[in-house]
Amino acid sequence: MKSFTYTITDQVGIHARPAGLLVKKAKEFDSTITIEKDGKSVNASKLMALMGLGVKCGETVTVTAEGSDEEKAAADLEEFFRSNL
Amino acid sequence: MKDKIFGVLQRVGRSFMLPIALLPVAGLLLGIGSSFTNPTTLETYHLTNIIREGGVLYTILDIMAKTGSAVFDNLALLFAMGVAIGMAKREKEVAALSGAIAYLIMNTAISALITAKGGIEAMAENSTTSVLGITTLQMGVFGGIIVGLGVAALHNRFYKIKLPQVLSFFGGTRFVPIICSVVYLAVGILMFWLWPIVQLGISKLGLLVLNSGYAGTWIYGIIERALIPFGLHHVFYMPFWQTELGGSMIIDGATIQGAQNIFFAELASKSTEVFSVSATRFMAGKFPFMIFGLPAAAYAMYKAARPEKKKVVGGLLLSAALTSLLTGITEPLEFTFLFVAPVMYAVHCVLAGLSYMLMHIFNVGVGMTFSGGVIDLTLFGILQGNEKTNWIWIVVVGLFYAVIYYFIFYFMITKLNLKTPGREADNEETKLYTRQDVNARKGSGSALDSSFDRVSALILRGLGGKENISDVDCCATRLRITVENSDMVNDSMLKESGASGVIHKGNGIQVIYGPQVSVVKSNFEDFLESDDSDMTDELLGEMLESADKFENTEKKHGKKTTLYTHLSGEIVPLEDIEDEAFSQKVLGDGIAVEPTAGKLYSPCDGKVDMVFDTKHAINLISDDGCEILLHIGIDTVKLLGKHFKSHVTDGQRIRKGDLLITFNISEIRRAGFKTTTPMIVCNSDEYEKFNTLLSGKVSAGDAVLEIE
Repeated sequence: MKSFTYTITDQVGIHARPAGLLVKKAKEFDSTITIEKDGKSVNASKLMALMGLGVKCGETVTVTAEGSDEEKAAADLEEFFRSNL
Repeated sequence: MKDKIFGVLQRVGRSFMLPIALLPVAGLLLGIGSSFTNPTTLETYHLTNIIREGGVLYTILDIMAKTGSAVFDNLALLFAMGVAIGMAKREKEVAALSGAIAYLIMNTAISALITAKGGIEAMAENSTTSVLGITTLQMGVFGGIIVGLGVAALHNRFYKIKLPQVLSFFGGTRFVPIICSVVYLAVGILMFWLWPIVQLGISKLGLLVLNSGYAGTWIYGIIERALIPFGLHHVFYMPFWQTELGGSMIIDGATIQGAQNIFFAELASKSTEVFSVSATRFMAGKFPFMIFGLPAAAYAMYKAARPEKKKVVGGLLLSAALTSLLTGITEPLEFTFLFVAPVMYAVHCVLAGLSYMLMHIFNVGVGMTFSGGVIDLTLFGILQGNEKTNWIWIVVVGLFYAVIYYFIFYFMITKLNLKTPGREADNEETKLYTRQDVNARKGSGSALDSSFDRVSALILRGLGGKENISDVDCCATRLRITVENSDMVNDSMLKESGASGVIHKGNGIQVIYGPQVSVVKSNFEDFLESDDSDMTDELLGEMLESADKFENTEKKHGKKTTLYTHLSGEIVPLEDIEDEAFSQKVLGDGIAVEPTAGKLYSPCDGKVDMVFDTKHAINLISDDGCEILLHIGIDTVKLLGKHFKSHVTDGQRIRKGDLLITFNISEIRRAGFKTTTPMIVCNSDEYEKFNTLLSGKVSAGDAVLEIE
């Protein structure tokens, strides 16, 4: 299991478009990706749930990858967050 | 305001159609009758032995000519009634009667004042005429139109009037002829003073038009054609054809005003040697492009169509071309290219204007009943002889026009790759366009924006919808409706509309409202005819939600889910959205609407999962587990909630058609954002089939997407 935390810098948070991109990214890996905010965690491949977290600018999320390619998944996703969110 | 004036003008133009539709028949009678009673024609065709004055055949032809004339002579009365009918909203027969009465009364009032002043001699020269035996001011069809418009306005205002009990016999529609008589008595008096001033103005203007020469004719032609798409051309040419604006002439001792009137008076007159081109310049120009030009353009469109579509396109274009050629009705052809290639229509306008000018230059004296097809050319040109009409120039110019139109159209279609019939993309239907399409393209607002009749909407819904109603009537206190299926009637909904009781008798339903029922009925009938009635559910959306007592009549689908349009507007395929997140279906499959009204409705029954804090998007979960994202506009998250207002909260139960979010389209666009609003099925993976049911213009609440 690999995880990292990230504080959102995108002014409008995880809204529809980045959520969609994130889901797409998350589905690239065999690992299960979960995103957690304030004790509530969701599967990152579920768009609706992800949007439902309502992550805003300045909030911190914990991203966890668990599975065969968790190393790569966590690294790639961290990169994805940095460049998109 | 501008739209309103425009709308009224369009309706005025349309209301001219009823009397105008009579003109071809009257023209046929007059044309045949007067041609073959005309000594010159008879001699030319060596018919003097067969058709002799006093003989049976001559008398029959004479009757035809005179009855045809009767229509043209009394056109003002026909307009008074026809416009009143066209502009009246309901109970049109009453408006017609009132129009006739008002017209008689106005002219009689004028007549009495003329007598009081000292008779015709005391009036300005040529300012009077005799209408239906009444000596009155020369007002032409304007007199009729003034009456028709005024009567319709009075009618629409008063036909539902309620008078005190003792006078109640005179209430409602019976009040309309009464008030019209009184008002037009006053109008007649007013006109006696006012109209001479108008006459002077028109006369001056007419002189100006007359002196405008060839250039004037050209401009007239261009404007006439350019107004066709708006349906305003009748409003434009009518004054030229029917009033002094189009000239004034003394024929056989009578003063005749208006280009068309002059032509037909000359046609009826035995002493005409040459038809006055100063009159026919407003008409003859139609022949070359209607008989030759436009059919050639149709041929160009046929040639430019793709080979596999040629057969179907050929049939469509041939019938449209024949219509133009024979009758001079050009809209079916013109709308076809106007719609897909406005620039081609602009070229057509200029050429059409030029055609008018050329006919003027070549002294072509051919008139027409209402348009320039072969039938009119034969009757009013060829039959009258080239000496009188110079009709041969129509053919000469026409042949040139055929060539010019063919090459210009073919060149423009192929060079600019215009999507004329038979060249459209595969998934589009090959068809000719109509004025409805023109109006639809203008995107003329949605009914959801306008205020609507809530009571009537409730009644309609309570009665089980439009399809369920076969007849509506009322007695003193009850609305009496015959329905197809009485099981669909919802009593509680009807009571909500203000009824004190509902009685079922088989398929007959009586809804008790009390004495005001006749107004309820009139309103309900208006509502049934309006577009609003097709969207009752949407209009009642909020109300239905708050009242769970109303039974849910929506059908539940099994695995299949149907989603309904979330907005009124135009369907946009996701692929066409300029945002990868949507066009690449990153978020899921679905459909988008370019809205015409800033109201977002629920596409299904279900619950609100989450309203974005920025209010520009909302997540819903339908009762059958479909996860839906409705996203208003593109990138509108950046507006941070400005111009959006949410009407629901997270977790709230919703019904199909409930109002979810209102937003200000124009402000959002002004802020630089697109308002295209996708409806995305977020859990698209769970479905195999996405079946889009609609394209083009839609109203909120239409079934649009079937997923399985």
